[in-house]
Amino acid sequence: MKPLSFQELILRLQGFWSERGCAIVQPYDLEKGAGTFNPATFFGALTSAPARYAYAEPCRRPADGRYGDNPNRLGKYYQFQVLLKPAPAGVTDLYQESLRAIGLDPKEHDLRWIEDDWESPTLGAAGVGWEVWLDGMEITQFTYFQQMGSMPLKPVSVEITYGLERIAMYLQDKDSVFDLDYGGGRSYGDLHRQQEREFSHFHFEDADVTMLARHFNEWEADGERLVAKRLPLAAYDSVVKVSHLFNVLEARGAISVTERARYIGRVRGLARKVMQLYIETMEPKAPAEAA
Amino acid sequence: MAKTAADFLLDVHTEPLPARFVAPALEQMKAGAVERLKGKLVHGEVSVCGTLRHLVVRIDGLQASSQDSRERFKGPKESVWRKPDGSFTPAAEGFARKYGIPASELKPVDGVLYAEVEKKGEPAVVVLQKLIPELLGALQFPKFMTWEESGFKFGRPIRALTALYGAEVVPVTLAGVTSGRLAYGHPTYAPKPVSLADPSGHAKALRAGSVLADPAERRAALLAELEAAGKSAGGSVDLDPELVDETVFMTETPAAVVERLKPEHMVLPAALLKMVMKKQLKFFPVLAQDGRLAPAFVGVRDGLHQGDDLVRVGYRRVLEARFNDAAFFFGRDCAVRLESRLPELERVTYQKALGSMAEKAGRVSALAAWIADSLMGSAPLDADIVAAASRLVYADLVTDVVKEFPELQGAMGGVYARRDGLGDAVAAAVEQFYFPVGAGTAVPATPEAAVVSLAGKLDGLAGCFAAGLIPTGSADPFALRRQALGVVRILIERNLPLNLNEAVEQAFRLQPVSAADADALNGQLMSFIWTRAESYFEDQGFKSDEIRSVRTGAFEDLCGTQRRLSAVHAVRSDPAFEPLAAAFKRASNISKQMRFELQGKLPDRNLLKEEAERTLHEKLLELDAASRARFSAGDYEGALKTLVPIKPHLDHFFDKVMVMVEDEALKKNRAALLKSLVNAFNRVADLSEIQSSAS
Repeated sequence: MKPLSFQELILRLQGFWSERGCAIVQPYDLEKGAGTFNPATFFGALTSAPARYAYAEPCRRPADGRYGDNPNRLGKYYQFQVLLKPAPAGVTDLYQESLRAIGLDPKEHDLRWIEDDWESPTLGAAGVGWEVWLDGMEITQFTYFQQMGSMPLKPVSVEITYGLERIAMYLQDKDSVFDLDYGGGRSYGDLHRQQEREFSHFHFEDADVTMLARHFNEWEADGERLVAKRLPLAAYDSVVKVSHLFNVLEARGAISVTERARYIGRVRGLARKVMQLYIETMEPKAPAEAA
Repeated sequence: MAKTAADFLLDVHTEPLPARFVAPALEQMKAGAVERLKGKLVHGEVSVCGTLRHLVVRIDGLQASSQDSRERFKGPKESVWRKPDGSFTPAAEGFARKYGIPASELKPVDGVLYAEVEKKGEPAVVVLQKLIPELLGALQFPKFMTWEESGFKFGRPIRALTALYGAEVVPVTLAGVTSGRLAYGHPTYAPKPVSLADPSGHAKALRAGSVLADPAERRAALLAELEAAGKSAGGSVDLDPELVDETVFMTETPAAVVERLKPEHMVLPAALLKMVMKKQLKFFPVLAQDGRLAPAFVGVRDGLHQGDDLVRVGYRRVLEARFNDAAFFFGRDCAVRLESRLPELERVTYQKALGSMAEKAGRVSALAAWIADSLMGSAPLDADIVAAASRLVYADLVTDVVKEFPELQGAMGGVYARRDGLGDAVAAAVEQFYFPVGAGTAVPATPEAAVVSLAGKLDGLAGCFAAGLIPTGSADPFALRRQALGVVRILIERNLPLNLNEAVEQAFRLQPVSAADADALNGQLMSFIWTRAESYFEDQGFKSDEIRSVRTGAFEDLCGTQRRLSAVHAVRSDPAFEPLAAAFKRASNISKQMRFELQGKLPDRNLLKEEAERTLHEKLLELDAASRARFSAGDYEGALKTLVPIKPHLDHFFDKVMVMVEDEALKKNRAALLKSLVNAFNRVADLSEIQSSAS
């Protein structure tokens, strides 16, 4: 049987989670470092309202780019993200079922749950969970969110993040990500290698540091302005933008060790305000602290 | 009553617990169950077992019901609530009613009234119903989480509770889970639970579900799998004890899968290859007959040998990818000489008050040179090697490989120093800078490596003490206890006669911060090191009184101290020794009492009037001369043994001679005689510290 193409892998996961009551939302249209930044997860995990989302999300990690030369490393790749709130009982079994849906029978493989607690300093978010290893390869990050914006979450959400390229390489028995069959007669390399080359060049050698640093300040200020206007969704775009600007500046080597902590603190500060504002706006029962 | 006792089983079925959580949780469950049943229900053996998904406690022969008991509640004085005619006041009636008895049943004891209430015994199931949530709620995990509405905190989500007392389910609801009689096997291989009639079928049900619940059994199965795998690869598996322990709690049924490696990967340093296998992938390296790394590895899967060929290919692919990453880092590191990395250390902070790693490296170099200089003449040492190595000890901290694998600090420095053509002696000193890395591991192998390593540890100790970072309780973030023990072990095991008092003073002098009371701080550090030395000596079988007897001057030369200690220990087995120590203590007490009058005074032969004191004096002069000669020759045991025959003469002296007489001159002279006897022994040890084994 022909193994799943990259796009079939996404379609199968969408189908599987759609059948289990998830809204299949689309990727958010801003550059971001992880699927967690999609508002479906960021805001979805925050309030007490039940939430079930699944989606594929392109993620940019400027520092991980290797000019398209490294068969395992990419500056931009895809995550498949599932958010389940409240966390269903037996969710780890549900995950095992999803592996069967993409043609991986756990009985024929070594499936391990390795302690790995997740933390996002820029979001003030932390969770407890595992890396899931399939025959030694990390294919999924599995997290019970415990807090966001440094506030405890209730109810607790589960976030499942599949590493699509790794799973596809495993399914298709490929040693290079660029050799993956994407679907539609294209290889992953056809669609991404030139991007990797150009963006590696841009992020490591060419990005205009002065302009990016200025943009960081401007978007940060605009985020504060929108928070003051009590528009959390609009202000959140600033959080996503400054977070990505920080990642590019860091890849470019423009941030010293001491500055780094300050930049992270600034992103977190803004993110926290947006989160609090969102809770105040969406959750009328929560005690309003502002006034 | 239908039954008097039955077995109890509690199986907490969880989502995968981190391996490190399991054993400590099981210990707590056992102790907690015993503690909570005390005084309530009598029981037989309490045992625990478990895996990453099961925490199981089993109690044999648990009493069916707790004993009926009488509880007594104290009331007021009889005289207050009881009228002279023997009837009770309304207040007394009320008190009795509270406990459901008529006032006439209140019992007077010593003039006070008590209400005595019969308390019915509770059935075991009721006791257990209360016990289970308490027991599980009290478990301490390194990290807690919440996952459901009740907000119950545990190491990982609880999926099911199997709670049986005999054939009966102990009904509890905890963290949204209601207990039952179902037993769960491995979620992949046995997704359907099995219903248990009673606790006896539990182990069998789990085993049938591919779960070996008993850690000892799992360990034995793992070791057998590893042994067979090693053999099939033509060598033996490197049984790293930590990795074995971890694997026991990472698998419910361990199944070893062996795979060969391509020779091109084997060119990387062995330490790096092993680190990638063990730390990144939890694979076991395979060693060839000669102990070198063989081109093979063993992964242990959680489950059955089903689809091993797929697993094998997956293992190899992921390991090769990791090796490629490691080779990339290693290649980048090799392109830069260690030497030229030194400026980068200026940007790495060691500790706020103590400056950068570059500053620390400077101090370590200076201290190493000082130590080498002070040891010159007593140990064969090449000061140039010490100087060349001590500059480079921290250079590998900024290499890519060490940033990726901090545990390889030192080891990689050694590899790079060798590649830079700095010679084996320098490379060894860089490589062994952090030795000894743990209990029972080697100290630096050469005198130069030992000196550099000592300098690093003494700088760490003095710096942290000067900056006020003194360990308290179990918190020791700079591993100062390990460093202090390292200093002790290196000096003794490398036989370096370094004056540690002076070396520590020198280390303090080099620090960028100084304490207000330098002497007090110095004393604090010396006693910190002494505590480590004591435990080191105790581990070698010396008794604590023996160790105390050599405390004076111990740091002038720890190797000599160890030899003095051995001498005391050896002489102690001499039957004449302990009575001698008792007599010595008497002599020592007298000379201590009069220490101000004596002030170094020697006994005057002309003032020795009695035969007993003249004999003691003569004998002492003779034995002391012989003992001194032995001592100078380094024969401490001989020096002590030589003095043992003084015993009858000392006894005779105490029998016949009064020391504390009216005549001041006589008194002082006699005390001076005892003092010179004490001094003769004190060269080796202060015997007054030795406790009689009889007392």
